[in-house]
Amino acid sequence: MAEDSFLHLARPLGPVSVGTAPTTAPLNVVIQPQAIFSVLDHSLRRNVDQERVIGTLLGTRSEDGSEVEVRSAFAVGHSEAEDQVEVDMEYHKQMLALHLKANPREVLVGWYATASELNTFSALIQNFYSGQGDGTWPHPAVHLTVSTEAGKDLETRAYISAPVGVTAERAADSAAFIPVPYELRYGEADKSGLESIANAKDAEDRSASVTSDIESLERAIEEVLSMVDRVSRYVESVIDEETPASTAMGQFLLNALALAPKVEPADIERDFNNHIQDVLVVSYLANTVRTQMELSTRLATAQLTLGSGVGAEGPSTGDNQRNQRGGKNQGGRPRQDRTEEARA
Amino acid sequence: MAEIPAPLAAVQVEALVVMKIIKHCSQTFPSTATGGIVGMDVDGTLEITNTFPFPVVEVPAESHFDNAAPNPAAAAPRAKANAAYSAEMIRMLREVNTDANSVGWYTSANMGNFVNMNVIENQFYYQSQLNERTVALVHDVSRSSQGSLSLRAFRLSSKFMAAFKENKFTSEDLQKSNLRHPDIFEELPVKLHNSHLITSFIHQLQCPTSTASTELPPSLAALESSPFAKTSTLTPNFDNLSLSIDPFLEKNCDLLLDSIETHNTEVNNYQYYQRVLGREQQKINAWKQKRAQENASRATLNQPLLPEDEWQRLFKLPAEPSRLESMLNTRQVDQYARQVDSFVSSSTGKMFAIKGNLLPNETSN
Repeated sequence: MAEDSFLHLARPLGPVSVGTAPTTAPLNVVIQPQAIFSVLDHSLRRNVDQERVIGTLLGTRSEDGSEVEVRSAFAVGHSEAEDQVEVDMEYHKQMLALHLKANPREVLVGWYATASELNTFSALIQNFYSGQGDGTWPHPAVHLTVSTEAGKDLETRAYISAPVGVTAERAADSAAFIPVPYELRYGEADKSGLESIANAKDAEDRSASVTSDIESLERAIEEVLSMVDRVSRYVESVIDEETPASTAMGQFLLNALALAPKVEPADIERDFNNHIQDVLVVSYLANTVRTQMELSTRLATAQLTLGSGVGAEGPSTGDNQRNQRGGKNQGGRPRQDRTEEARA
Repeated sequence: MAEIPAPLAAVQVEALVVMKIIKHCSQTFPSTATGGIVGMDVDGTLEITNTFPFPVVEVPAESHFDNAAPNPAAAAPRAKANAAYSAEMIRMLREVNTDANSVGWYTSANMGNFVNMNVIENQFYYQSQLNERTVALVHDVSRSSQGSLSLRAFRLSSKFMAAFKENKFTSEDLQKSNLRHPDIFEELPVKLHNSHLITSFIHQLQCPTSTASTELPPSLAALESSPFAKTSTLTPNFDNLSLSIDPFLEKNCDLLLDSIETHNTEVNNYQYYQRVLGREQQKINAWKQKRAQENASRATLNQPLLPEDEWQRLFKLPAEPSRLESMLNTRQVDQYARQVDSFVSSSTGKMFAIKGNLLPNETSN
């Protein structure tokens, strides 16, 4: 998404006394998907008459301040009129406090708006967020705009600001927004979640169910097959001289093919047999344990049908001894199995 | 409530909630993470639209040896401080038009080990104190890292609720109520749901540059540095093609062994109880016989009879240990076994596929 390239120029600062101005050193913004999702969700929940909504961004800053990771976001109510803007600062403070309680490691990093437009109000709010005291000072505040106009692409941009203006009064409600590069990054853990979410992207009702292991395996295999198909189609068309050949592509494919392991058939056979045995044995044992446990609980609680009229104590002793034996058996077998596994 | 609403049949989770839960759970992994969920109940489908994590109260260093609360996060949902926290949070969320209706809580799990007293007590608290129509979402971090997202929704069955309320878990009660381990939880199907904006966002993510693809790269280096070589887009997650079997099986065996040990302890407890009970019963019988003899001799001597039911005061029968723990344990083992089954079904497939590929001669004849 970040196709823009950036050139950062140092520029003279505005009429703010040195030392109070936030640094305008270039920085990298990393956005995690849940932050974007929060912004989009907030955009959907805006009041009918609102053009855009704003909120606070939270995240972490790298030690030298050159990278900001936006981890989460929360909405802040605000209203814009012709000539004035009102942001619910009290709300922002309370929510921030609540949020920090649960995520002590995250700090305030900036704010977002759901329109690409930058105007005077943006500058005002930006100055609040980057100010001293409650703001991000001495670090620059990140301003993220996510355009959510219907019928157009979502456009995300990140900015930091520099003070601008001739006098101190003018500087309070103006700011020079400097675009900064950003990237969307997600961890290993998010991958499976995003994949499941992406499954719903083509569905009419925009929903998908959580898939089981085997289903997702099936999908992954289908995906690989279609990729192999695509590549072989390309290779065929190159051989038929329909598509221009590319050395780079050929090299790349060769490299990929070279990744196929060269192993002795006997080794494979051995490894395969070892592992398949492990897998099946564990599965078998797990199910045995399950059955035994179920049996044991059933016997312990369902003895009334055995001895009619006999007190509950009588037969249960016998049953429990049997349970006990069952339990010991189970205890022994998986242990053996584990040693087997360690060997393999 | 005037009319009886339809029972909850399904849970629909917004993409935002999924991502937030994943983030919170994986951040705190391997310790447990919990949080609250808010949403709406529409015709038997519980729509979960937002979530917030519960703060973990940091245990001060000096109380390190205090074993009273080994895992504060696991108990967080029913802690008093958090009730205030979540009430406050929900009030704040209402101001920005979020659904301000607590519909349950979520917890993280590791390899499906979520069937324990903490979860039961939390969910019991939610279903009995706050709102009957609440669910517990369980996100299994380790299973999700293997490829497919594992997010499940559970409720306590009404039968179990009734039994838990009165703590009726002696074997006699269980015989009467016919409560079994599959009856503890009701699992609700989970559906993921995206808003329009998120749908369009994901579409945009997946095709970053559709026009530039026609050009062939001039060199290998260019190809490798091109946006296509970077796997930054959402597209497929091939983690579930990987063949690491042993760690998963090992972990599962460990967990199973733990369960078996719990089972043994429970059985031993019960046996102990029975031995003590038997001994007491014997004593009582001996006492009764003695009293009967005494009374018989007194009757012949025309003396007033001694009361025969005094043994109830003299002897105390031990209380029967609760069967709840072993029931939960059985449910847990059940969970593990199913998990292993599902893993085995996919991994055997993969293994045969690899064998078939690496030994092509084998498959042809």
